[in-house]
Amino acid sequence: MNASLQLAPRFAEPVPLVAAGVTKRFEGIAVLDRVDLRLPAGAVLGLIGRNGAGKTTLIRILMGLTLPDAGAATVFGDPALDMSDTSKVRLAYVPQQPDALAWMRVGDMLSFIGSFYPNWDQNFVRDTLIRWDLPPGKSLAKLSTGERQRVALIRALAIRPALLVLDEPAAALDPVARRDLLREIAVRAGESGTTVLFSTHIVSDLERVASHVAFLHRGKFLLNTQMDDLKETHTRLVLPPAAAAQLTGTLPGELRRRRQHDGSLAIVLAREAGRAWPAAVALPGASLEVLDLEDLFVEMTA
Amino acid sequence: MDIGLFHIQPAAPEPIYRQIMAQLRRLIASGQLAPGALLPSVRDVAGGHAINPMTVSRAYGLLENEGVLERQRGKGMVVATTHRPRPSSDQRLAALVPSLREVARQTRELKLPNGLVLERLRTLLEDEHERITPARSKIR
Repeated sequence: MNASLQLAPRFAEPVPLVAAGVTKRFEGIAVLDRVDLRLPAGAVLGLIGRNGAGKTTLIRILMGLTLPDAGAATVFGDPALDMSDTSKVRLAYVPQQPDALAWMRVGDMLSFIGSFYPNWDQNFVRDTLIRWDLPPGKSLAKLSTGERQRVALIRALAIRPALLVLDEPAAALDPVARRDLLREIAVRAGESGTTVLFSTHIVSDLERVASHVAFLHRGKFLLNTQMDDLKETHTRLVLPPAAAAQLTGTLPGELRRRRQHDGSLAIVLAREAGRAWPAAVALPGASLEVLDLEDLFVEMTA
Repeated sequence: MDIGLFHIQPAAPEPIYRQIMAQLRRLIASGQLAPGALLPSVRDVAGGHAINPMTVSRAYGLLENEGVLERQRGKGMVVATTHRPRPSSDQRLAALVPSLREVARQTRELKLPNGLVLERLRTLLEDEHERITPARSKIR
């Protein structure tokens, strides 16, 4: 499923992030298979996928760091592989393992970087270094991986970027810092129309802050939808064996089907907002279960 | 009104915008939010709970469409003043139906007899009544 995200563009300017037919193979195996993505201004897209689903590869192609075998990515309308300076200055990207300028001290590096950016927010830097327990005088080389990623997140947020791309930001953060980060994302998306793409496997973060959610699985999007509608447009129908025997073929909106240990059938269904479920939900013994994001992800990818 | 009046549960069966709508309806129906009362800004709710601001504005917008809330120029979103001061008990009951339906569903899933559930609900209602009645709680 490659539905484009529905959100009115806030500015009459190029879409912040687009992937069209992006394909990437490693040693003959397709890590990404004709992936389309369109992230409009102000959207917060949470990208979920199991390890090896292609999340990091997709993000690197979108950032122009990896060459796709087919298809193309654009950032503010520029080819990702050849971004203009005006696009670069509005973009902040935090990889899983940032490793820039390791010989500098934390505070010096942040001041140095800050001098390149017109909107640099030094107050935010000062406050967040304290909140996130980072000594400004320590050299970057002596930081742990987690500390280094926290510094990189501060650096990315201080730019006040129009587009923020984060690869697994939650991994390096304790619950307090994670909540701080989510709050920053939420407030900036609302106030400045910041567009955000973040990959994660902490699904509850996504349920809070994402406006859109996409499941990447084996190089394809299984789902790409608005977060608010998800719980009303997806369900799990459980049919006892007798009712299951009455089914012929697949149901309208059926996404997945599996036989449970007791012989009953669990079917994940999708519908359009405001539409009814198929008639099979009224079969004797049938029950509908609400799926939260994590349930849905497990059902779709297990 | 303080943002702490909302209880957001991301993993609950109801989407967050519906949680906000249901909670506001209850607060208004009970009179805890009077007509004209100012709601916290979208920014404050989104920031305070670390949730997406579009989710909050969707909840406010839908309630505005229903006439429950009003947008006041230069002020923000307030509880509608054109509303009757206190909705009828039918209307207040309607605000409770989604929760009751959820109880009904779980009762069936747990294969519990209706009488047992109703009896427990009665006890809980009486407890709740005692809890908020100051005169009686002093005696306890």
